[in-house]
Amino acid sequence: MGSAILNGILMGSIYGLTAVGLTLIFGVLKVINFAQGAFLMSGLFATYWFVKFTGTNPYLALVVVVPFTYFMGYYIQKFLIKPVFESEKDVREPIGVIIVTTGIWYMLDNLALMLFGAQYRTINVPSVSKAISIFGLYAPLSKIIGFFISITVSGLLFWFLKYSKMGKAIRATSQDREAASLMGINQYKIYNVTFGIGTAICGIAGAVLLPFYYVYPTVGMHLDIMDFVIVVLGGLGSIPGALVGGLIIGLIESVGSQFIAYSWTIEVIYIIFLIILFVKPSGLFGVKGEF
Amino acid sequence: MKFSEKQIKLILLMLSAIVVFLIPVFIKNQGYIQIFIVVMFFMYIATAWNFVGGFAGVLPLGNAAFIAIGAYTSTILFVQYGISPWVGMLAGGIISAIIGIIIGLPTFKLRGAYFALATIAFGEGIKVLFQNIDKIGSVNVGGARGILISYSGDSFANFQWVSRIPYYYIILVMLIILLAITVFLMNSKMGYYLIAGGEDPEAAASLGVNVAKYKLIAMALSAFFTAIAGTFYAQWILYILPKSVGSIDLSFEIAFIAIIGGRGTIIGPILGALLLKPLGELTRTYLGGALPGLHLFILGLILVLVMIYQPRGIQEVLTKIFNRFVKKMVTIKRS
Repeated sequence: MGSAILNGILMGSIYGLTAVGLTLIFGVLKVINFAQGAFLMSGLFATYWFVKFTGTNPYLALVVVVPFTYFMGYYIQKFLIKPVFESEKDVREPIGVIIVTTGIWYMLDNLALMLFGAQYRTINVPSVSKAISIFGLYAPLSKIIGFFISITVSGLLFWFLKYSKMGKAIRATSQDREAASLMGINQYKIYNVTFGIGTAICGIAGAVLLPFYYVYPTVGMHLDIMDFVIVVLGGLGSIPGALVGGLIIGLIESVGSQFIAYSWTIEVIYIIFLIILFVKPSGLFGVKGEF
Repeated sequence: MKFSEKQIKLILLMLSAIVVFLIPVFIKNQGYIQIFIVVMFFMYIATAWNFVGGFAGVLPLGNAAFIAIGAYTSTILFVQYGISPWVGMLAGGIISAIIGIIIGLPTFKLRGAYFALATIAFGEGIKVLFQNIDKIGSVNVGGARGILISYSGDSFANFQWVSRIPYYYIILVMLIILLAITVFLMNSKMGYYLIAGGEDPEAAASLGVNVAKYKLIAMALSAFFTAIAGTFYAQWILYILPKSVGSIDLSFEIAFIAIIGGRGTIIGPILGALLLKPLGELTRTYLGGALPGLHLFILGLILVLVMIYQPRGIQEVLTKIFNRFVKKMVTIKRS
């Protein structure tokens, strides 16, 4: 039981990290990126091939994976999402952007399928796969490293948004895009950067997950739906909300599995999700208003 | 002899109807007939999706749940109680419509992305439910293994044939009925209210339109007709499992077809299925071995391109070309 709670917290923090990327993009662009899981898959594959070719550590792969996923997100936003975004500027329910991100999800997943095949791949990193004892509870070192990286990245992102010039511009755009434009902020540039950061976070999550996870072309699907649940639970657009939501879902998943079959745990998560959507769509930390 | 534009359109419609009805007479290859059935099946479910996804102006991404409900209702009734699938079809439709209303009541309060997310969770929730339940009391639901319908001889009452041709005509008639209902609805007061509520709920409500009521009716109709397709699927394939009738991929494909064709138009889902399904089947048959996933990659690519260049779907261009063609025919006849 204690181990289940510990594992839930560790896993939940990594779920939270992937959700942070999604919630950041939503907070600024007001768009739910359905391709988030596909970006995570890209991060996982990038890390996998880096480790395979260089024979080094998955954490070292971050040097390559972060810029790779950042620019991927940056240019996908610039060339594919922005045109739809512009044409839908005045539409009240911008569904087109959701559809485009779904199309991108299909393209990325199936590109991976064509390139790498459908088999499940893993890497073996003996140095981090051994279990470590914390207060008498055991968890693999890789998950503990994942926990610290998740917390650090979220903290850095929070600091970046709060104090850096770019961060302030991002926040200004998220609060009022017209006013920000009048202040000389290029809103579409901000959107590209935000999207890039959101996807780069997925890249980091990929590198963190790989040592104890499988990678295959549709790996993003499960995490995608999990991410939607987490961000809505925490409140769309709220970064602390995403982390807390991640922890809650991680705990439900791992502690719930102690009592009921895993497939029923998933059902419970869907039901909780629907209840939140119907009762309090603004989530735990979200702002009341448009939903 | 002179024809007006309207008459030419009517003649063309009649001609295409005759061609469609005669296809099984000339094409004997069951494999080709099967592809026609697939295309019409998707035309049908995308048209049913269109009630909510097109006219009511939201994005449902969980319609496979209704297919699953329809398929499971009629199959359980048929396999375990010997009730004709035709009766089960109706029962599944009604159950599905009720569930549609129950799920629609809270979800229609949500906007844009939230609505889409709620329908995804609903769709996946139903699928996981069917996967997890093996038995309810003495009723065998089959769990993740699904239910096999045993073949017991060609029979109309049992909705079973070895030949594909009866299925061809059944789905064709289902499609024509659904299209007729759509045309009738869209030219009725309800259709106008529905579209007005989809485009701007507040403005419509301030003019006295009960937006919520019409959206719920649309949802009930969509759920009813989608469930009927579920029964058709079950009797056509004779094997259902949660992954095939309730999958998120199916939910997305239904939406994609209608969107690429042109959501909110009557012809959109028809054109969407006509373009995408044969394309998908052909790439899968001829290139699927070497490049699995190519057909889905192309689907994603078409979706992105259509959203960027033709946000109203391919029907816009095609309708223009068609109208120009009809105009030309009018002038030819006159000269």
